[in-house]
Amino acid sequence: MDREAQRRLDGIRARRTELENSVIDEMLAGRVSRREFVRAGSVIGISLPVLGAILAACSSGPTTAPSTGGVKKGGRLNMGHQTPSGPMDPILTADLGRLTILGLAGEYLSFSDKDLKLRPVLAESWSPNSDGSAWTFKIRQGVKFNDGTPMTVDDVVATFNRLADPTLKGNNALSAFSGVLTKGNVTKVDSSTVKFQLDSPNGNFPYLVSSDNYNAIILPASYSGNWDKTFIGTGPWKMKSYSVNDSVSFDRNPNYWDTSNVPPLDGIDIKFYADEQAMILAFQAGSLNVLSFFSVRGGQTLLTDPNTTVQGISSTEHRQVHMRTDQPPFDNNLVRQALAYAIDRQAVITGLFNGKAQVANDHPIFKLYPSSDPSVSQRSLDINKAKGLMAQAGKAAGFNVTLYTEKVQEIPDLAALIQAAGKQIGITIELNITDSGTYYDKYWLNSPLGITDYGHRGVPNTFLKAPLLGDPKLGKWNAAHFNNPTYDTLVADYVKAIDLPSQKAVTGKIEQLLLDQTPLIIPYTYDALTAMKKNIKGIETTGMGHVNLTKAGITS
Amino acid sequence: MARFLVRRITLALVTLWLLSVIVFLASHALPGDVGRKILGPFADERAVASLDAALGVDKPLLVQYVTWMGGFLHADLGSSLSFHVPVAELLGRGLLNSVKLAAVAFVMVVPLGVLGGIVAALRRGGLADRLITIVGLSATVVPEFVSSIVLILVFSVTLKVLPISVQVPPDADPLTQIYHLILPALPLVLVLFGYIARITRSGVIEALDADYTRTAVLKGLPWRTVVVRHVLRNALMPTIAVVATQLGYLIGGLVIIEFMFNYQGLGRLLLTAAQQRDFPLLQAAVMLVGVVYLTATLVADISYSLINPRIRLGGAE
Repeated sequence: MDREAQRRLDGIRARRTELENSVIDEMLAGRVSRREFVRAGSVIGISLPVLGAILAACSSGPTTAPSTGGVKKGGRLNMGHQTPSGPMDPILTADLGRLTILGLAGEYLSFSDKDLKLRPVLAESWSPNSDGSAWTFKIRQGVKFNDGTPMTVDDVVATFNRLADPTLKGNNALSAFSGVLTKGNVTKVDSSTVKFQLDSPNGNFPYLVSSDNYNAIILPASYSGNWDKTFIGTGPWKMKSYSVNDSVSFDRNPNYWDTSNVPPLDGIDIKFYADEQAMILAFQAGSLNVLSFFSVRGGQTLLTDPNTTVQGISSTEHRQVHMRTDQPPFDNNLVRQALAYAIDRQAVITGLFNGKAQVANDHPIFKLYPSSDPSVSQRSLDINKAKGLMAQAGKAAGFNVTLYTEKVQEIPDLAALIQAAGKQIGITIELNITDSGTYYDKYWLNSPLGITDYGHRGVPNTFLKAPLLGDPKLGKWNAAHFNNPTYDTLVADYVKAIDLPSQKAVTGKIEQLLLDQTPLIIPYTYDALTAMKKNIKGIETTGMGHVNLTKAGITS
Repeated sequence: MARFLVRRITLALVTLWLLSVIVFLASHALPGDVGRKILGPFADERAVASLDAALGVDKPLLVQYVTWMGGFLHADLGSSLSFHVPVAELLGRGLLNSVKLAAVAFVMVVPLGVLGGIVAALRRGGLADRLITIVGLSATVVPEFVSSIVLILVFSVTLKVLPISVQVPPDADPLTQIYHLILPALPLVLVLFGYIARITRSGVIEALDADYTRTAVLKGLPWRTVVVRHVLRNALMPTIAVVATQLGYLIGGLVIIEFMFNYQGLGRLLLTAAQQRDFPLLQAAVMLVGVVYLTATLVADISYSLINPRIRLGGAE
């Protein structure tokens, strides 16, 4: 770095807080990559221009947005999308079918992109207090809802106090805000500032108010339900027509606040599909030119189709194979490890996903998370070791057990592969595969061995808490009945760590502990795949399932 | 005739009431909680409980049945639990779409099947007979999801001559709508052609062998007159009954076809409702399909009895 750059960097650093400077130190010392730096900096509220300036001062340019070259003005997209599984209402939303639609008409304080970086949207910037127990957000001014009324700080305050309300009918955001944010603790500081006073310090809080918490689109303070009549929001698209269970059409919102980001498209026509095969056939026949999301299992033919662009991004969507740690036969961690060592992850990924998935390591701090510890070694197939562990646990003769799971996507095939893996080390696994309603009702939290589907999260907090904490109030999805006080303490330390170095100091220990205990086998995370015709460009997707179409268009 | 009608309609109403009890109990026997279904497995229990209470699905079964039946008798079908819209609105749209598809399929398959059956019977044992019988039988046993995919791949993806039935604007002119319905109707034609042709064939053969036909031939009537006036009139009675009962299936039972073509008919609505534990929608949809079936059978009985007075007399005894 030359002296001029050093001088500029010093100038920037003088205006940063201590916390922000610690992130800059990490990068200068080479302990975090440039990508991790941008992501970590964005969480604690360093704005993108400043991040860019810091990177520039470190003799390289700022990160650039993906090119959308050659898109013409006008035209509409015909997009096939999964059928919403309930009423279109931000508060009740719990599925991909709805959250993608919410994100077209509505907006969040920030947008969590495919690299898990937060991009300011309705908030211009944010910062924590010294211990991360309170966060303040600067709210963008001059934004209007699509009915013409201005969006104010009061709307933001009302939106979050509503989502933190445990008495609100069907409030789906409770799973994110329970124990984190209490109703009434979101307050207006001034006409452009909101303060969130948290129940306890939380270093990843900005994610809970970003697009990662899809319930949290900013709604008017007066909102009282019936979103499906109005599609009220501040987003770039305005609902034109909506036919329940069938289709929804959007036009460009003429009053969109971000005049530098006016979408080239005139609108989007979305058709809902209950059957993926039907959706893929309609795409191949040309009735649709975009498929928001599709699975490798249903869309093999699209991967090799010369007329289709398949856009894949890593996500943290995964499957958890739980083993009940509190009763035989899986009450011995050596037995649990044995089963984990008997699984050929690479073969599973090739066989079930055509390679469109990433190997995972039986803990939820996936490599995609900047806080993961790369020094923890990856577990891989080792039948001899697995047999040795079985013998060491006194189970060399093997045993019988039933694996319970749901008929969802590739899960039955994964179950069969686990059955085959078990056979190699003497575990006879019987499969009980039901529809997902039955599985969640009867077997999920009550089975010796099972497989559960988990969606994407921008930070590992939820994965670390609900499926693994010993306290039944916190570990509500703890199918493994895992109860380990050391683990619980480590997770508490992780949650309150507000900068990357202090998060990383804990994650290695958590990963190691989960490998040793193996309450869960997590064989892979899989990619989110989007298909579009060759003449469609500029679609931005996220692992969570948002589809940003502000830059999308048809090439001439 | 009036007594016959009254009897049949009373019987139909009793059947419908029984259906309502069965469907109510069966749908409530489905595993899974409504609020949980709407909010997903990972939602907070407090959220699920509050939603269940608001929807009224936590009340005793009898209370729920009486509330539902009461509304039903006042033509109030309630509101869909999962979509927050009146059930009547969803069902109306579904029924209209189903009737359209059924009509197109009906118009295509009935003349074809009847004609095929007559030709086969008149050429009994010949090449045409074997061809019609074998092709018809083979087409019937191919499941709809197989024939649908093959037809889509051939006509829509490769040849691009017929559209997959998405995005037909509801206000499009009738010809465009029919054009969009040809492809989804084709698998139905395949399923039903062999059936209708077979029934017609055996009816015609029976009539050809009957005494009255021999008499007509012997008294010197031209062959054409014998076939049209004497054979077909008697031969088509079983066909009418079969076609009428198939109407119920065409309108209310096309779950697979509607999924494959993403068509918003009653079948798809039924399955969605069952998956979502959307009781008001599910129950009303089953009742509607029940009404369709009963009406179709009633129409068949009446037309049958008009052609064949023996039935009518039997009913009035």
